[in-house]
Amino acid sequence: MGKMMILNGSPRAPRSNSKQYAQIFSEKYESETEYYNISKNNHLELCEKMAGFSHVLLVFPLYADAIPVTLLHFLKTLEQHPPITKPVISVLINCGFLEYQQNEIAVEMIRLFCRQNGYRFGSVLKIGSGEAILGTPFRFLVVKKIKKLAVSIATGKYKTLHVTMPLPRRMFIAASTRYWTEYGRKNGITKEQMETMQIEQ
Amino acid sequence: MKLILSDKPLKIDRKNDDTITFIDLSALNISNCIGCFGCWTKTPGKCVIRDDATMVYPKIAASDHLLYVSRIKYGGYDTVMKTMLERAIPVQQAFIRMVNGETHHVQRAVVPKKAVILAYGEISEEEQELFRRLITRNAHNMNFESYHVRFCTEDAVDETVNSEVEKWEK
Ligand SMILES: Cc1cc2nc3c(=O)[nH]c(=O)nc-3n(C[C@H](O)[C@H](O)[C@H](O)COP(=O)(O)O)c2cc1C
Repeated sequence: MGKMMILNGSPRAPRSNSKQYAQIFSEKYESETEYYNISKNNHLELCEKMAGFSHVLLVFPLYADAIPVTLLHFLKTLEQHPPITKPVISVLINCGFLEYQQNEIAVEMIRLFCRQNGYRFGSVLKIGSGEAILGTPFRFLVVKKIKKLAVSIATGKYKTLHVTMPLPRRMFIAASTRYWTEYGRKNGITKEQMETMQIEQ
Repeated sequence: MKLILSDKPLKIDRKNDDTITFIDLSALNISNCIGCFGCWTKTPGKCVIRDDATMVYPKIAASDHLLYVSRIKYGGYDTVMKTMLERAIPVQQAFIRMVNGETHHVQRAVVPKKAVILAYGEISEEEQELFRRLITRNAHNMNFESYHVRFCTEDAVDETVNSEVEKWEK
């Protein structure tokens, strides 16, 4: 079992769901973890630090069906400044839609990065309905899967795992409509205003 | 409207078609989406970051023919194009509906598109394969009614773009 570097690739890392997922992971991983947000100007520092870790966990959201540009920028820097010893890279990804499968392209992009750059690829956890699930009674399902992820990495028995709200799509849509309506209401915006078809000119 | 969105300058031969708008993203100032959801829940349809992206996404929404030209990286769009695509979410609502058996966002006034995606660079087979899968996914979220993916080396980009523009002009 090795020391784990957790990198948050969400563009809103300090206030992100990814941060919460990372937090749960740290609690469940039996060995030491260090957590970092990827920011615009800490790429080189993170590349340098990476040499001290046997494992890296990339935690990030799905953005436009792929990895967020924040993480893409970082991977390009890492490609130019690889650590002397390369860690095993694992992925904890979450997306807004119900289907965890929508994360698959982004996971494949990380796998491709690993192949092109000589990193061993470890475990994956794909989370669907990741924008809201931690605030629902289904939170325990996520915690359980993150624990499995942590154990699989710690034991070197790498796995691909997934979790989402166990709801029929119709109910998920109704729940997400309530979630977003409430989000707008807190900003003083009505559902009708949120439903405008107009895009600025 | 016909729109060409590129991550590099292009030499386009336009015969007499003034319905084509060309935008070179590399010449614009566009910062990355910060995931604040302001465009859904504060100023619906409008991004809170007031940089050059705010003149691009209305054009994406209004176009019926679309040509994206981008370098490929790890089987996806490279940073310049990806930054813009992430900034284009004001064209959708927060609300979710079903599309092709999956959950996706409701589109605002987004015209259905005939899209051509031109990815350039040194592209391996597996990267091509992954990029195709990405575009299949994008098609659901970006209102592509039909799409065609092409690959070429960087020095063949102008030529390939012009062959696509010629098809539009026919
Ligand atoms: C610009 C942008 C693009 C997004 N694209 C997708 C997408 O393609 N599919 C999806 O399921 N969710 C998408 N989402 C939703 C996020 O993945 C979701 O809200 C996630 O929980 C954010 O995680 P974070 O708080 O760790 O950043 C997108 C969000 C933003 C802001």
